[in-house]
Amino acid sequence: MFGLIGHSTSFEDAKRKASLLGFDHIADGDLDVWCTAPPQLVENVEVKSATGISIEGSYIDSCFVPEMLSRFKTARRKVLNAMELAQKKGINITALGGFTSIIFENFNLLQHKQIRNTSLEWERFTTGNTHTAWVICKQLEVNAPRIGIDLKKATVAVIGATGDIGSAVCRWLINKTGISELLMVARQQEPLALLQKELDGGTVTSLDEALPQADIVVWVASMPKTIEIDTNKLKKPCLMIDGGYPKNLDEKFQGENIHVLKGGIVEFFNDIGWNMMELAEMQNPQREMFACFAEAMILEFEKCHTNFSWGRNNISLEKMEFIGAASLKHGFSAIGLDKQPRVLTV
Amino acid sequence: MHNELKITDMQTLESNKKTTEESNNPVCLNLPDFTTDSYKDAYSRINAIVIEGEQEAHDNYLSIATLIPNELEELTKLARMEMKHKKGFTACGRNLGVVADMEFAKKFFSKLHGNFQIALEKGNLTTCLLIQAILIEAFAISAYNVYIRVADPFAKKITEGVVKDEYLHLNYGQEWLKENLSTCKDELMEANKVNLPLIKKMLDEVANDASVLAMDKEELMEEFMIAYQDTLMEIGLDNREIARMAMAAIV
Repeated sequence: MFGLIGHSTSFEDAKRKASLLGFDHIADGDLDVWCTAPPQLVENVEVKSATGISIEGSYIDSCFVPEMLSRFKTARRKVLNAMELAQKKGINITALGGFTSIIFENFNLLQHKQIRNTSLEWERFTTGNTHTAWVICKQLEVNAPRIGIDLKKATVAVIGATGDIGSAVCRWLINKTGISELLMVARQQEPLALLQKELDGGTVTSLDEALPQADIVVWVASMPKTIEIDTNKLKKPCLMIDGGYPKNLDEKFQGENIHVLKGGIVEFFNDIGWNMMELAEMQNPQREMFACFAEAMILEFEKCHTNFSWGRNNISLEKMEFIGAASLKHGFSAIGLDKQPRVLTV
Repeated sequence: MHNELKITDMQTLESNKKTTEESNNPVCLNLPDFTTDSYKDAYSRINAIVIEGEQEAHDNYLSIATLIPNELEELTKLARMEMKHKKGFTACGRNLGVVADMEFAKKFFSKLHGNFQIALEKGNLTTCLLIQAILIEAFAISAYNVYIRVADPFAKKITEGVVKDEYLHLNYGQEWLKENLSTCKDELMEANKVNLPLIKKMLDEVANDASVLAMDKEELMEEFMIAYQDTLMEIGLDNREIARMAMAAIV
């Protein structure tokens, strides 16, 4: 069994979906009611790999909504309760989707192993970041040449370079792609210096300096809502890969030789027959999903029941190659520029 | 032409920096001061509720046995356990030098107690099990689970032992209702509609005292809903039926 822990993109959206699913007690409730709502196992599904293997899985809605980010204790409980439910249901490997892995990491949930009468077994969970990082790298490699960017001459800026996904992307770019230059941007300078030392390459710089130089920009930072970027200063063509969460780089710049690609999204080769990705606002919800969710499915296909992606800066090139090969084998592919991202309706 | 990247309205972690800082602040995990007058005052009522709750549970299980005599032995065992819990919680109060306000606690349970007695007289076993083995047990488990996180070391140890037992009790009612679901569903729904709002009111009533003990109302309610939902799920009700039942808590 694989599991996916997700949440709605907003409180209003969550209420609408709860109403559709028949969860009237919370559909009619205010935010306080949602703060007391238990996680819900919304759907069970059977998925057949391109190799013919069948696996079963469940989608758990944590009943977290982004409006709860300002209530740290609530957010913490939502994630831990959803994880407890996944474990109680006997799910072998569960991916933490959307904000849940970010909350787990940033709010130090590792110190909360005991949830009621359940001792959480971390090996049952994955952030899915290894697959996400691999998918972003593939999206970069495949889509840059399509819009006339020669990778060998390209300058790539990674915004959020010291994060779990960001550092993995940097590692891959330096070692596997032969790009001309790597610019690394992050808020904290100390880990940035450490990363540069580890990679023995890349240039540490600021966002303002990086953007005008970059042919390709990989965003893997959670961006402040107030950020303003003058697109006149960007190179043309420019490929922007929106690998952060939420995906909040607008699509409107596609027409002006600035190509925005939804990063870390994969497509399955077949219709899955589930409703859960409609909840996640995917463009083709029968096939598309977050790469982190797909990681749980891949690990289940491979009977690799371990917290494959866990903690920070543990993503090695070997792990990325392993998950990438398995991803292709079982029928996943990274979405490309021909898939126009849809604006999130918030 | 000048363009700016438009960012949607969705919340980001960045925009909630304070939350992240708070999560890293160990002060948040600090225990309350168990020696203050305000703590002891609140404890005198909370402790009494717990003691009275265990006494009620003891009496209720023995009463339920009169409706299913072949379960007498099992129910007597459960009742005995509740008495043991009562003693444990009495010791918790004594340990802090608190005299439990039993008069308050009796009044606190009076409505639910009354409903149980009426159901018992009528021989409505399903209603009795819903009140005792689901609602009261889920209420107790939720409160104990929250309390364990902020209790004094002595009470923490006792409460941890009690919680383990209480899950067994929840299980008892659950099993009977599961086996008899086809015949007891209507009564279960009806009894729930009447009694779940009482639990919600009881929770509201105790919220202020609980917060003095560092027990958060939101957390209490959530814990209750988790235990309640789990049990109904185990009994064999589906998501929609559970949602309909849980509606009664939103009053």
